[in-house]
Parts: sequence; C-alpha cells; structure tokens
Amino acid sequence: MPDPLLAIAHLRVDFPEVVAVNDLTLVLEPGDVCGLIGPNGAGKTTTMRAISGLQEFTRGSVRVGGHELAREPDELKKRLGFMPDFCPTYDQLTASEFLEHFGRAFAVSNRAQRIEQCLELTWLTDKRDSLCEELSRGMKQRLVLAKTLLPDPQVLLLDEPASGLDPLGRIELRKILLQLHDAGKAVLISSHILSELSGFCNKAAIMERGQLVKFGTIAELGQQMGKRRMSVKWRVEEKNALQILTASGAVKNLEAAGLGAAFDFEGAADALDELLKTLVVQGVRVCEWRGLGDDLEQIFLQSGAKELM
Amino acid sequence: MKLSENPIFITQKRLVHRTGVLAAILIAVLVGFCLLLGLVGSQHNGASNFRPPPVAGKVFYGWDMGIEILVLVIGGFSRIARTLADDRKAGLWDSNRLTPLKPGDLVIGYWLGPALREFYMAAVLAAFGLIIVLTGGLPITLWLGTQILIASTALFFGLLAILAGMAFQRSQGILIFLVFLFACPFSLFAPSRMLTNFLLPIYGIGNLFNGHDCTNYRSDMNWSDRPEIFGLPVYPILLSLGLQLIIGIFVWRALVRKTANPFQPLLLRWEAVALFVILIASQHALLWDLWRGKFPSPAHAYYGFDDFDLEALLAIVHGGTIFIGILLLAFASPLPERVRIESLRLGFKNSGAIFSRSAVALALALAAIAGAGLLTQVMFSLADSFQIFIVTAINLAEIFVVFALLLEFCRLRHKRRALGFVALWLFILCVIPFILAGVFSSEVVAHTSLLSPGFVALSERNGSEWSLQCYTVAAHLGVIVVLFIGWRRQWEKLLAKNS
Repeated sequence: MPDPLLAIAHLRVDFPEVVAVNDLTLVLEPGDVCGLIGPNGAGKTTTMRAISGLQEFTRGSVRVGGHELAREPDELKKRLGFMPDFCPTYDQLTASEFLEHFGRAFAVSNRAQRIEQCLELTWLTDKRDSLCEELSRGMKQRLVLAKTLLPDPQVLLLDEPASGLDPLGRIELRKILLQLHDAGKAVLISSHILSELSGFCNKAAIMERGQLVKFGTIAELGQQMGKRRMSVKWRVEEKNALQILTASGAVKNLEAAGLGAAFDFEGAADALDELLKTLVVQGVRVCEWRGLGDDLEQIFLQSGAKELM
Repeated sequence: MKLSENPIFITQKRLVHRTGVLAAILIAVLVGFCLLLGLVGSQHNGASNFRPPPVAGKVFYGWDMGIEILVLVIGGFSRIARTLADDRKAGLWDSNRLTPLKPGDLVIGYWLGPALREFYMAAVLAAFGLIIVLTGGLPITLWLGTQILIASTALFFGLLAILAGMAFQRSQGILIFLVFLFACPFSLFAPSRMLTNFLLPIYGIGNLFNGHDCTNYRSDMNWSDRPEIFGLPVYPILLSLGLQLIIGIFVWRALVRKTANPFQPLLLRWEAVALFVILIASQHALLWDLWRGKFPSPAHAYYGFDDFDLEALLAIVHGGTIFIGILLLAFASPLPERVRIESLRLGFKNSGAIFSRSAVALALALAAIAGAGLLTQVMFSLADSFQIFIVTAINLAEIFVVFALLLEFCRLRHKRRALGFVALWLFILCVIPFILAGVFSSEVVAHTSLLSPGFVALSERNGSEWSLQCYTVAAHLGVIVVLFIGWRRQWEKLLAKNS
C-alpha cells in the first residue's frame, strides 16, 4: 500500500504556558482537500507551521510522501508548499521576478513557462511586470499562492488563503483547489469562513484548544452528527406531512412555515433517508429537502468548538 | 552552488540595483578624486606641510582607506543586518528557508548580496587608493596589505552582521560595534599585545603605515614591531587574517546550523569552549613575552609606560576575559522552555540532567580555561604569585557561575523581563559596592563587589589585602549557594509542569 501523501502522527507542540497542539493525528491521501477548522487560538496555524518545519514540535512525526520531516527535511521541502496567512513578498521585485526567485530556489524546470502558467492560474498575467509593492493585498495573496504552486508540490498547506480575496478571487481560488484535487494533490486548508471550504473539501479536521476534535470525510462526519437542522418544502398543502414528521421520534423543534417546515433531526443519515422515503411513499410531493447551513458549518457547530469567528 | 546561480544573491543584487547604485559610485569617485587632487596639490605646493613627501601620500591614503572602512565595514554591516532583520520580520526569511536551498547558500546570499552598493563604493575607493599610493611614492605592499585586511574584516563583519540580523531586531545590531568601540581605548594602551587590535586589524594597518619608522628600543607603545606569539614574532597581517578566519569559521557554523534549525542554540557547548580556548590562548600568547611566566616581574626593560603600570595589562585582559566569558555564556545558555520540551521528549526530571544542560557547567569549564590562561603568566613565579593567581581564578569562576545561575534564574522566574532583572542583580552585585564606597568613603566596601577580588589581586600586591580578599571570595561563594538554591527550585517548578 503506498504511503499517504501527508501523515501526521501524535503531533504535540508546546508553548511556554500552553500546549498549542496536542496529540494530533491525521492522514491525507492523494486528492484529499481537508478543511482545518477551529476558532482563533485553536492551533491551526501552529499545526501548519509544525508540518512545514517552521515550528519545532515536542513529539510526534510528520511524513510527506513517506519522507519524515525530522530525518529528511530536504526531501520534504521539495514536496510541500506552505502559504502563510500573510503575504511575504519582496516589495521592490516585480511579480514575475518574485516567482523567478522561488523558481530558482526550487530548481523548477521550464521556469519561464511555469511562471507564466502560475501567473495565469492566479489571474496575475497582466500584473507580471508590476512591483509587488504596487499590488493590492488580494493580488499579493494570489501571488503568494502562485509562488506556492510554482514547484508543483504534492502537499499544500494553505493558511487562510481567501482572507484577502474579493468574491471573484474566492471563486477562482475554489477553481484552483478543485484543479488541485483533480490533479491528486493533498491540500490542508484553514479558513474561518466555512462556506468557502464546503463544496470542495472532502475531509474536515476540527480543532479546539490544540486538540483535534473531529477528523474524517465529510460523509463520515455527517453520519456522526448527533442532529442536523433540515428544511423540507412541498408543492401543495399537505397536513399529512406535518403529522409524519411529528410522528418521527428523531424530529425535534418542528417549525411549520407555509408549504414546508424546518426541524432538527437527531439520528443517523440512514434514518434521515428513511424519513424522506416515508414522506414520498405517503404521497407528500416533496420539492426541496436540504440541510440548513452547509455540512461543514453543521459539523463545526456540533463539534463543541463554539467560538466561530 | 555558484554565486551567479544563488537565488538569494541574484535577488539581493536585483534589489540593490533597482534602488540605484550610480549615485553611490559617483560619490565614491568624487571623494577619491578630491583626495587624489589634494595629494597632487600638496606635492606641487612648495609650502606643503608634509615633509618628507611620503607623509603626504600616507595622510591622503589614510583618509581614503578610512572612508573605505567606514563604507565597507560599518556601512556593509549595517546594511546586511538590516536586510536580514527586515526579511525575517516580513516572513521572507522563512519563505526562503522552506525552499530546498542549502542553509549555506542562504547565508552566502545574505552575506554577499545586500551590501553590493557598499562593495562597489569600496572598490572605487580602493582603486583611487592605489593611484594615491603610487603617486605618493608609497610601497605597493602598503596598499595590498591594507586592502587585504579591509576585505577580510568586511567579510568577517558581514558574518557578524548576519548573526546580528538573526538574533536582534533591526536597530540592535549596532551593539556589536559598541562592544568593539568599548574595547578599543583599553587595547590601545599596548597595541601589539591586545587581541582586539588583531580581530579588528588596527595593529596590522598601523604596522603597515609605520613600517619605515622602526625604532631600536623595546616599547609596547609603538606600532612598528611585530607582535609575538609566545615570544615568536609573527606578521600582524597574518595574525589578523588567521584570527578572523578561525572565529569566522565558528560564526559560519553557527549561522548555517541556525538557518537549518532556528530552534538550536547559537553556540554548541564545545564550540563555546573551543572559541574561548582560542581567544584566551591567543591573548595570553601575545602577553607572554612581557613576563615569560614570572608575573609580576617584567622579562625586559620597557619604555613607553609612563602613564600606566605594565601590570595593569593583565587586569585589562582579566576584564576582557570576563566580558567574553559572559557573552559566550549568554549565547550558549539554553532557554528554559527548550529544556522543558527536551525533558518532555526524553523523560528526564532529575537535577543532574538539568545541570549538564544548563550554562552552569559551561561556566565552570570557561573558568578553568581562563584560569589555565592566567597560569601561563605566573607559572614560574607561583611561590610569589600564588595568592594573585588563586584569588583571580576563583573570582573568575564565581563571576561566570553567578552570571550563568542568575541568567537562568531570571529567565525561569521573570521570563520576558529576564534581561532587565539580570542587569539589576548584576548592578547590585558589581556596582552598588562602589557607590556605597563613595558614600561612606570606605575602600573596604568597594572590595565587596563581585568584580573586585580579581582586579585588586592583579593590580595591587599589598599583603594586608589578602585576608580581605579571602573573606570577599568566601562571601561570594555564599551568594552562589543562595542563587543555586533559588535556581534549582525554579527548575524543579518548571519541570513539575510536565507531570
């Protein structure tokens, strides 16, 4: 069985008065895009810095493509791209010179061509010859993303990559991440804006006070959820529908609203499917059936990590 | 990796060129041209003050060289330290560290890249210097020797600048120069005997300038003699280059290690010990010929010490030894939090393991080395000088141990405010007794200072002081015991967190 692209085992990072990351274990396979979620101070950035080698850890191991950070840091550097939550750029270099600098450092082959590709990918082609100091924060963010993508790393650590991006930039970021997913890269991405992460994350890791509270595929975590808020709508007046819902022991806090209702469902995903089936079989013409808030938000809210920013 | 392919160097070069180098080069040309004109003018002016003619050449070349040193060594140092500190702050240093570049390539890029403007200016000034030397009728060896020394000093200080950029904030790097400036007045008492005059090639340059002024009498105040290592004369230029090379290698190792893993201490223990051995051995070797192991009896009749006693030289060296020792202890002392994490990792909890990791053990090792150095000066007169030796050696050990204990105690107890408290306690132990001595007009109170016994022993040979010195040394041992108890309790408290 091939090594996972990113394997973190029992990672612990100590700060003077606090254990910043405690016994964190997670594995990312090719194509995994994992949302690292948690409130401020949960240890997301520290985790990413520890994986990249910028933060010393007390215990545990980090392996990228089978290469352990402690033993083969150089191999790891070739396979890992880290984009921090701020934008370190040489203000007096142009965007293309900045990429050229890192292209040389990573010994990227076909450097000029690859730089053009990355500039195009991050919508910066027309800013190729602009000095970094002339770029807006969002553009700098995209340039640093381009720099991270430049050596074509197998594993990407993106710390708040969308924080400075405008709506269009966020849509483009989503596209880039989907491309990375399709290309079989492993991506660990942190963000406070959970709606950004949903839609392309197939895994989620929820941290609170340095601990990994939950980790797994979105489907697995959805199944583990104790309750979820659901919304159902039907085409014509259906008194029967409300009776069916009320009769189900798993439905709580039912709120009828016009041709539909919202409710908390406390049960497994299979039971939720069963409820829908019952409605349909009983002749209710269901035209909408969805969870309120996306999966990640629901998973996060039920994880026990309260302070969502 | 070739320098021309080093991405850090290429980028730094690009950044320097982008902000403009032409104006700087033109300024250097203008300065060089003015000096050359001045020389030519003085040579054609019958009323010239410069007699004989080579003196004019020396004066104008001296100015040219002085500006070159200012630009290259001081300007270069400042530029490198500032660039690195800024890049660290901006996160670019970490970004570069995450590339597959070798730590050595990174260091070379920052060593030679940011100060290119200063290099260009220095090259122009060096070229004008050559013309001035040739026009002034001076030997070409003067130009060659001084330029080699300036270049090697610039490279040496470039390494120190990277160290400063790594260790300090942007504005604090200049502290290194203040250290040397503080040492200079003392070292000029006996130019050929003081190590600082060779680390900064003051004597080498002075010697090249005074090469024609050899005198026949023996004096430590002239700049013409060759320095002596255990009585063997050596070329000052070679001594400077050798010392800068050896210490530069240590600095280089520290930089590469720290670049590869910033969580390691700046100096490994063996490096601190080796560096101290080299410095102490070199300094005592330079002094050797004064007493030839029979301190305080001079080995020769000396001239040129009208204003100060020959014996004070050893007291100055004693002061320098304390300073260097404390500096090395500060660099090699582990941060308590690192020891705690190591204890978490390795599972040790006993005091023995702490002792071997703390700087206290190193302090004892450094004191032993300093004691051995001092012994070389008194080994053939131990019957007379035993008291001097034993008091000075024990006092050195006390100072080093007190500093190591105090530093770790304050780091453990006061954390971020540690340095302020270290300074406060050192002020109380070392300076307050002198202030009180002034207040109460009592010399005896001044002798209770932690610094006093060694200096008093080396500079005064009054038998009546012996018992007072013994009491003072014993009282300082008491201070060490109290500090040790507090130090151990703080360590135990820290390690208790792990359980």
